[in-house]
Amino acid sequence: MIAVAAFYILSAIAIASAFMVVVARNPVHSVLFLILTFFTSAGLFVLLGAEFLAMLLIVVYVGAVAVLFLFVVMMLDIDFAELKAGFLTYLPFGGLIALILFGQFVMVGGAWVEKSVAAASIAAPTPAAAAVSNAEAIGRILYTDYIFLFQAAGIVLFIAMVGAIALTLRHRDGIRRQNVTAQVGRTREQGVEMTDPKPGQGVVL
Amino acid sequence: MSMNQTMTAELFFQQVPYILPEITLAAGALIIVLIGAFMGDRGSRLVTWLCVAVMLAAGAMAVLHMPPEQVVVFSGSYAADGFSAYAKLIIALTASSALLLSVDFLADKKLDKPEFPVLAMLATLGMFIMVSAHDLIALYVGVEMQSLALYVLAAYARDDAKSSEAGLKYFVLGALSSGLLLYGCSLVYGFTGSVKFDVISAHVAASRDIGVIFGLVFILCGLAFKMSAAPFHMWTPDVYEGSPTVSTAFFASAPKVAAAVLFARVCFEAFGPAQKDWLGIVVIMALLSMVIGALFALQQTNIKRLLAYSSIANMGYALVAIACGPEFGPKALLVFVSIYAVTSVGLFGVVLSLRTADGERVETIAGLSGLSRSNPLLAAALTMLLFSVMGIPPLAGFFGKWEIILATSSVGLLPLAIALILASVVSAFYYLRIIKTVWFDEPVATMVPVGTATALTLTGATFVLAALTLLIGLVGSAATIAGAGFS
Amino acid sequence: MIGLSHYLAVAAALFTIGVFGIFVNRKNVIVILMSVELILLAVNINLVAFSSFLGDLVGQVFAMFVLTVAAAEAAVGLAILVVYFRNRGNIAVEDLNLMKG
Repeated sequence: MIAVAAFYILSAIAIASAFMVVVARNPVHSVLFLILTFFTSAGLFVLLGAEFLAMLLIVVYVGAVAVLFLFVVMMLDIDFAELKAGFLTYLPFGGLIALILFGQFVMVGGAWVEKSVAAASIAAPTPAAAAVSNAEAIGRILYTDYIFLFQAAGIVLFIAMVGAIALTLRHRDGIRRQNVTAQVGRTREQGVEMTDPKPGQGVVL
Repeated sequence: MSMNQTMTAELFFQQVPYILPEITLAAGALIIVLIGAFMGDRGSRLVTWLCVAVMLAAGAMAVLHMPPEQVVVFSGSYAADGFSAYAKLIIALTASSALLLSVDFLADKKLDKPEFPVLAMLATLGMFIMVSAHDLIALYVGVEMQSLALYVLAAYARDDAKSSEAGLKYFVLGALSSGLLLYGCSLVYGFTGSVKFDVISAHVAASRDIGVIFGLVFILCGLAFKMSAAPFHMWTPDVYEGSPTVSTAFFASAPKVAAAVLFARVCFEAFGPAQKDWLGIVVIMALLSMVIGALFALQQTNIKRLLAYSSIANMGYALVAIACGPEFGPKALLVFVSIYAVTSVGLFGVVLSLRTADGERVETIAGLSGLSRSNPLLAAALTMLLFSVMGIPPLAGFFGKWEIILATSSVGLLPLAIALILASVVSAFYYLRIIKTVWFDEPVATMVPVGTATALTLTGATFVLAALTLLIGLVGSAATIAGAGFS
Repeated sequence: MIGLSHYLAVAAALFTIGVFGIFVNRKNVIVILMSVELILLAVNINLVAFSSFLGDLVGQVFAMFVLTVAAAEAAVGLAILVVYFRNRGNIAVEDLNLMKG
């Protein structure tokens, strides 16, 4: 009973906040609604018994991706006032298409029957939750059966890193940088000069 | 043969030799990135040559390690067979020659940083995974690995507004198409209970739910975007025009081969029993691509946009080959796309070589006027490549189209063959217009000689094309062996 | 107990909102990137729901790969967006018009 109530509350919030992501006037609000969507979806994952993915969704998505979005929104310094004018012109037509699309997806989803899938098709049956935790069960197949793809996913992240650096890193000329080796390697002779100033004349710097 | 048991250390080492080409590329990229990082921008030439060497080695390895029949390893996610080995060789050849073309251009535009060749090589790794993908996860990871690197290459000239706009357009539309692809994958997984192509195929043969059909449509739409087939071609002209020309040369060759081969594998292996469900989609996409590619090219004045529409039309021809089904399709597809990719690199080699005396790059067709007088060799190479794309008989391009027409006649899809011939006739019109501009119009500017690497590649591409013409029988039989796995 | 079709309906709603957001938004590219994230989230809900109702872990592994790749995609997308902003000074969709044809 609680699970049923939780499902309806979480999914209602998820859908409403997803809608707000798209229509909010201020991109900062969009990002915050996106975070809310991720949180409620993580709740849905818990209801489905996928605790590990729920954790990942919050740690990776809210912790990294959404914050990255927030950084970029703040950094770009956009004139928010003029952003959303004229938004409504596309709304009726777009909304109609979206409703038709949604109806078809729901129809397709309703066509799923459990028995249509042969038991032999299942590659990695979920072990009983009491015996093996969700994270451990995923780890057991991720690092064995899916090792090739796991490594490939690492390369994808590597590409993102190289690409982001190639596009945005700029070595600006004319900026004095700290040179640690030179600082540490300085000898006493380079740093200190002994002079013997006469009284009343001072030192020429 | 299939290795589907649970993975053990022993099994793992047994399976590693099959993915040696991928390991070579990945390890090579990681090492070369370090070399680039230590040498800085002055190492970019060395890095390019190293990347070319590693890519060629990986391509050769794929062919040398080709198992006699299909072997599926890593719990159904990776297939090593003749089809993928042949595709990998072509991808390695065309990607590395596109990379060779880049050296002078990038140095000229002050863009010669080691990241360019490394990203191109990582995109090639993605293409290798694509052509060997045997489950939906590998398909997705491969496609994304390739696409992410290509988005960056499109926006690579970061101080050029056109280039970053091209990158942004490519990214937004590409991400949308990946979303469609994934939604399709999730439906197929849910309704068949598996991500593996062979299990999906078995399920589809037994029963066909609406969910699987929906998923199939979404997957094919996503893949059509990646191979820039109509009606998902909208990004192609803008991205081709805006990106630095070296990136465009790269986009127009190897990724097209990978996407077409992956499209064919999804149709033939995962959804082979559902041929009547995908045939209609493929035929419509093929017809639209041929019509749009041929008609819109007529009014273009920019060479890169024209080549974009030309590649849309050519992907239409490739889809005709796929429509011919698993028995006759693979061979025609492989012959056609390999010749197309080589020709495409050659054409971009010519475009990259066009530079007027005051250092301007020529990008309009009018700029080609009188090329025959200022640079007869280049004009001759361009003419030969264009005749090949048109499909004039003694040249290689003709045999690519001929194979497809033969395949259509074997399966009784003659209307498609007629459409192909009509589209080729219309296309010949604008290719001939270029040839006329090159040979008969008054010169507008003198062209200066091109750099050594570009000249080398250009000569290479033309030479390979000429060799392909002579050895067309050999290509055909290699492709026959490679494509035999499906029938 | 909640049936699978309910979860699929939630995913379908998020997916349509995401697609809708991409096509309707004419002013701000960054919202388009967020719409892409919504689409990928919808796919993940689909995969996890199928995984749970089929009793098959592969769906959850697939969802993990989608998460990973989506994070990489967001990084690349935002990098391209920043470069674009540096060149043009705004990120309105309507201004994506340097090339016409």
